[in-house]
Amino acid sequence: MISRNLFFKLVKQDFKKRIWCPILIFVTCFLGLEVRMLMEMETFIRYPDAHSYDVATYLREYFFGREALDMSILVCLVAFLCGITGYAYLHSKVQIDLYHSLPVSRAQFFWARYLSGTLQFFIPFVINVMVCVGIAVGRRTFTIETIPAIVSFIAIELIIFILAYSVAVLATALTGNIIISILGTGVLFAYSTGIEVLIFLMSARFFDTYVVYNSRGNFALNGKIWCFSPLSMIIKLFASPNNTTMEDAQKFFKYDTLYVWVLVVAAVLYSLLAYMVFRKRASESAGKSIAFRVAEPVIKTMVVIPTAFLVGFFFCSISYNTDTNEWFLFGVIFGFIVVCILMEIIYRMDLQGALMHKKQFLFNAVCTALVFVVFRYDVAGFDTYVPTDAQLQSCAVSISDLMPLQQHIQLSDFGGHYLSPAQYRMANMELQGNPSVMELARKAAKEQLAYRYFDYYEGIEESSEYIEILERQENYCVIDFGFKFLNGKTIYRKYMVDLADADTLRLLSDIFNDYNYKIGSTPVFNDGWKIAFDAIRCENNFKAADITLTPEKQSKLIEIYQKEYTKLTFDIVMHTLPIGTVDFVLKNRKNPNYYSSYSGEMCIYPQFTETIALIQEYGFDILENPTAEEIEFIQVQKEEVVSDPYYRYAPYYNTYNDMEVKESIQKADPVEYTDKEQIQQILDNIISDKFNWQINGYADLLDSQYSIEIRFKKNNPNVYNCYRFIKGQVPAFI
Amino acid sequence: MITAVNATKYFGEVAAVNDINVTIKNREVFGLIGTNGAGKSTFLRMAAGVLKPDSGKIFVDDTAVYENPSVKADIFYISDEQYFLPNATPREMASFYADYFPAFDRIRFDEMLGNFQLKPNRRINTFSKGMKKQLSVLLGICTNTKYLFCDETFDGLDPVMRQAVKSIFAGELSERDFTPVIASHNLRELEDICDCVGILHQGGVLMQKDLEEMKLNIHNIQCVFQNAEEEKAALGLLDIVKAEKRGSLNIITVRGQEKDILCKINMFSPIFAEILPLTLEEIFISETEVVGYDIKKLIF
Repeated sequence: MISRNLFFKLVKQDFKKRIWCPILIFVTCFLGLEVRMLMEMETFIRYPDAHSYDVATYLREYFFGREALDMSILVCLVAFLCGITGYAYLHSKVQIDLYHSLPVSRAQFFWARYLSGTLQFFIPFVINVMVCVGIAVGRRTFTIETIPAIVSFIAIELIIFILAYSVAVLATALTGNIIISILGTGVLFAYSTGIEVLIFLMSARFFDTYVVYNSRGNFALNGKIWCFSPLSMIIKLFASPNNTTMEDAQKFFKYDTLYVWVLVVAAVLYSLLAYMVFRKRASESAGKSIAFRVAEPVIKTMVVIPTAFLVGFFFCSISYNTDTNEWFLFGVIFGFIVVCILMEIIYRMDLQGALMHKKQFLFNAVCTALVFVVFRYDVAGFDTYVPTDAQLQSCAVSISDLMPLQQHIQLSDFGGHYLSPAQYRMANMELQGNPSVMELARKAAKEQLAYRYFDYYEGIEESSEYIEILERQENYCVIDFGFKFLNGKTIYRKYMVDLADADTLRLLSDIFNDYNYKIGSTPVFNDGWKIAFDAIRCENNFKAADITLTPEKQSKLIEIYQKEYTKLTFDIVMHTLPIGTVDFVLKNRKNPNYYSSYSGEMCIYPQFTETIALIQEYGFDILENPTAEEIEFIQVQKEEVVSDPYYRYAPYYNTYNDMEVKESIQKADPVEYTDKEQIQQILDNIISDKFNWQINGYADLLDSQYSIEIRFKKNNPNVYNCYRFIKGQVPAFI
Repeated sequence: MITAVNATKYFGEVAAVNDINVTIKNREVFGLIGTNGAGKSTFLRMAAGVLKPDSGKIFVDDTAVYENPSVKADIFYISDEQYFLPNATPREMASFYADYFPAFDRIRFDEMLGNFQLKPNRRINTFSKGMKKQLSVLLGICTNTKYLFCDETFDGLDPVMRQAVKSIFAGELSERDFTPVIASHNLRELEDICDCVGILHQGGVLMQKDLEEMKLNIHNIQCVFQNAEEEKAALGLLDIVKAEKRGSLNIITVRGQEKDILCKINMFSPIFAEILPLTLEEIFISETEVVGYDIKKLIF
């Protein structure tokens, strides 16, 4: 009786019985493939200049490549449909009586339905893909290189289908009711993603040194241990690459082959798990919420604890002040009780069962409280943990506000992205053999405990304790550390360090003076040699100009600048004002009128004599300043900070509020100076406010009481027209 | 032969079938009767391989039935609420079963559909409850399985159809190796067709006997004795299942052979003594009453 013939009869029978399913999938695929493809092709015809690539490239690299993510969302929904409808008979006593009394083993029955469900997706999907190929061939946009892209597209979508399908089957077999099956599918499909998000939220809220640099855009979904749910896996498969160099960014999206195999293994494991649960499932479970009573408390604990914390975050986000723990705690307790009751009601399908299982309730409450305590009081010592020297391969350090050179990575075909200085440095810096690095890390971790954060409340600025701590913490700044272990793992920490501490300054100086720190902290030294920049933007205090250089001249400039920059010491930075900047820029591909900075504005100090001379040779004189004759008038305005910018120095819990501006600047009426002598005196004692940004918080060289604007007789639009007096050099007549 | 050995099935904390031992011989019509919740359906579901016994075993032809397709190929189970594929017609259902039961006789099925005036291409979901029951029986007969389990199948049939089905069963029994097991509350119907009866109560088997033997071994007697002493002495000799007195008339249900019972009563020269035949229903009520399932408790 158990023959191959019968197996395929079963497959056919199920296919016929659910014929509406492949029809619906066919229509869905038709809209998601052919219709979408034709619409995209139309944009190429209507706006031929809108893309920097042709239709054939679009089809190969995007439609059948990167955009497989869009199709994957549809595929997952389709998989849920196939999985739940295929095994929903398990929820019906009458259907079970029929199917399980037939002379077929459960194994054969399971796999026949499994194959049938897969074919219900695969056949219409492949037909639609083939029609797309036909359209592409008909429009002469199909190339031989597109074939591997199509094969991998079909394979990836099939793997994703099986992954989502297995989860739906597993959820259906675990439950005894269609509504609970749908909920269960959702939970199993996204569980690890939810946990990832929760861990991120909890860590960001409770750990002062927590910082993430792993993966741009999907930092919360990239954990290695927790990626066991299909949603996490799919997000990880299609995650934007964390490009930190231009060279990497120029490549098209490619699947991580190794990770594709991880998906295949996961799909097989989920399928086997679903099969085992199906085999173990008792027929009499039909109609119950959960087929395995023993699983009820486990599922409850797994759902209740994370949900309680997520509800806590929800209440925080809707409350007036997101920092306070009161609303968070209220949310956790409220969420905990509601979800506990709700799950009991679902389990019993009876309102009267809401308060059953008090021991489980107590157990879950204790677990929730433990999780809260572990995070809130840092029981595991997250903030104080510093690896030993023997564990490390290398370190990365970012002294945040010192030379914050933002990098704009220009991607080949889908835009670009900015990297913060710390993001760039964490990815590209490798400091080794500098004992000051770990000494500073240990010192910072220890001192971090003394750093005081405040829960904001109305009138905090009047508190004497607050004012006292504000003054004590006035000179703190942020230092980021990346510890790369011998096993390849990297962890990151963010510390507040006191610049008023001579020992801290000494260590910072040792790190800044390290050759590798400078090479690893400045993007243009990494792959700037290989890029043909569209222009070099040079700027001094009073003028700016774009110069275009040959690749050889560009390389020469980078070489000379690098030579002098690596000799720059912390001491110079602290006591010397820059006299100009140089910036390597790229044209925006879609709009050539826009430029984007690749290197960031790199400071030129008076000590960079060779760089100054070379730029002068290339046509821009950094040392050249305007005379009083060229200026129509200068406006000087006195500024007064009305309320303290306390937010900068003493942030509240929850770093999101750090950015809230709590200061206001009161400006006096501007005074205009037209006298040539006075103008010359002002010109001799001012510096562009822009240069101050590069040393923000470190060197106290400017007088912030006055802001100065210059009106040139001949307008120079490229210049940032805001100046400050050099500290102690405010002319007497002002 | 179907044999249940200490078969037990719990649903949560309720023992639906509790340690029952039953033997159903081949080529006999076995009636499964029992109180509500006695475990008749559960027993049939276990015997059909739908449910797995928590302990004990159910053997069909000496082979455990659960997860054994080769044994299940000899069984056709008609549940109390038979499921038909959505929008299926009788003919489509026949095709469905023919995939699983290669001996399915399509020609006979078509013939029988005609005899029962069921249209082969009409959607089953437009059938009445009785028509669905008829169809279930026809499908079951035409699979030509050795065992046919019917759970409350006769309940929805009209008297004519009941007779027709009985005739079909009789025909099958005479022509081939066929063993129907019928669970029902309709004891009068079972009485006509069953060779052997098992009475279930609260998950256990109260008794399992040949129906004729069962009838010969229990009797209803009406008798009047001359005085109380004789009455007491006479009744003391009998194996009384149930006794009731209306005035001087004793109405008693007694176990034993008719001849023996009368002999014992006549020893005391009763004024009046008469043996009345017991229906299966009366036997069922008497037997269940002994174990506390007393109809009077339900009524009064």
